Amino acid sequence: MTNVEGVADWDGRGLPPVAAERMRRAAEGAAWTSLLSAPAAAGLEVAGFDPAGEVMGSMVQRIGWSTYYGCGASGWYGASAQTITSGTHPQAGFAPYAHALESGWATAVGRMITEAAGIGADGVVGVRLSRQSLGNAVHEFTAMGTAVRARSATRPGRVFSTHLPGQDVAKLVLAGWMPAELAFGIAVGIRHDDWNTRQQRTWTAGNVEVGAYTELVNDTRADARMLLQHRIRAVGADGAVIASLGLSTWEIEPGEGHTDHVAEATIVSTAITQFHRSREAPSRSLTYLPLKRSRS
Amino acid sequence: MTADPTQLGIPEDAMRRLAEMRPGQATSLFTSDLSVNEFLLVREAGFRPLGLVLGSSIYHVGFQFGRWNKNQELEVLSQAMYHARELAMTRMEVEADQLGADGIVGVRLDIEFKEFGSDLAEFIAVGTAVKSDHPAPEGRTWRNNRNQPFTSDLSGQDFWTLVQAGYAPLGMVMGTCVYHIAHQRFWQAMNNIGQNVELPQFTEALYDARELAMSRMQAEAEALHAEGIVGVQLRSHGHRWGGHTTEFFAIGTAVRPLRADHHIPTPQLVLPLTD
Repeated sequence: MTNVEGVADWDGRGLPPVAAERMRRAAEGAAWTSLLSAPAAAGLEVAGFDPAGEVMGSMVQRIGWSTYYGCGASGWYGASAQTITSGTHPQAGFAPYAHALESGWATAVGRMITEAAGIGADGVVGVRLSRQSLGNAVHEFTAMGTAVRARSATRPGRVFSTHLPGQDVAKLVLAGWMPAELAFGIAVGIRHDDWNTRQQRTWTAGNVEVGAYTELVNDTRADARMLLQHRIRAVGADGAVIASLGLSTWEIEPGEGHTDHVAEATIVSTAITQFHRSREAPSRSLTYLPLKRSRS
Repeated sequence: MTADPTQLGIPEDAMRRLAEMRPGQATSLFTSDLSVNEFLLVREAGFRPLGLVLGSSIYHVGFQFGRWNKNQELEVLSQAMYHARELAMTRMEVEADQLGADGIVGVRLDIEFKEFGSDLAEFIAVGTAVKSDHPAPEGRTWRNNRNQPFTSDLSGQDFWTLVQAGYAPLGMVMGTCVYHIAHQRFWQAMNNIGQNVELPQFTEALYDARELAMSRMQAEAEALHAEGIVGVQLRSHGHRWGGHTTEFFAIGTAVRPLRADHHIPTPQLVLPLTD
């Protein structure tokens, strides 16, 4: 377990040996590190959380295009095509690609949570997520944050995680809301460029909505939002604050004279749950005027 | 924010809630892309977020032939920029209507030129649908005079202040004008070389174009029976049309009064310890 030289022997279960060794040292009471800014540290202090250490999780995987299952076009030059999304057609389109993205994030976040649990933390705040391409369709998924321990007698038996910085966590907690976990909604959609679509995008087409592309991005986003809702419900939370709502699109040419468009939607959020019993949140805002230069 | 953590049982209650969480308990879920500050202020203003709502349209912007030596509005492009935004906004409003919302706050209206092609752009409107815990004063509804949810591009902080001050948003109003500024004739250009002179036709063109955009926005506000428009932004976008063609885009939130007086508590002065 503590054999740092034997990295190549790691079987992919649990944490890589180097990380496991670092956790062991941290659990033994070595000095803790944190990614907190000063306001974040002060905010967490007020809300009753102490920093426990910096934690991270990472995962490298190849996400290839070999899993292309067709675009759902009826006839190569057929007049009609439909949008195929990973959520509504789990066996078609780019569903395996979408699942690879999901498992990339889930594994990275999972390893980060394992580290946090290993040093006796209750949650991870200010999680930064990044995805980096290492070339050849190989991607690294990374999650990094600061583990915190609550000054409470109850241990919830789960580690909460959030993208929110410490000061936002403090404001939420003081207003009776608790972050539960990072929730993702990821969907990929594909649509064949049919005859109609090709007509709508020629320069003589005039002012016209391109129905096929609009449907592609709307369906893909709708899918990602639906999956996010399922995720929040599965967590048992009351809602979510969204960190980012990303959409990227690109063109592929799986065959001669055959083009498809692909859209990838990723929603990152933190599921939150309400614990104040009063109908109104127990906070009260103070109107104030900061004595500093305004932006412009 | 003023609250005593220990009196509220923090973080004890928070951790107990996490321990009690079970899948599928919640009957209604919300999602919101408001920041934490905005989320808490919108709650404090008496509104509950219902969900993220969005509308989008991928639009092919037509081509317009014109006489390039003349100042003129390019109506085809103006119509395209307006129609596509309207499609996106209307779709967002339909989503909010289906959720039974009173309004949409924190609306962002963006244009992204995507990888679909040079004349194609995605017009997208995103916001958070909200519902009020209390009916509007004087037995009126929070919705606007078309019985549609109100829309507002104000931040949560501005929304809170607006409601505190006795105003309610009615709707986002916008006006656009794509304008072509004439190329100078050869002899004009020769005369101006090396001289600091006003180019009257440029000045006039920019005045005209802005006026068209602003007056269209005002006409929308009047149709909503608004008292005024707050948070107006007057933007100019070059998009991908080259130096002489510019879109002037005016957008703001039309408001109506909720009560006669418009006082807010006198703000306290604070000296922040950050930049």
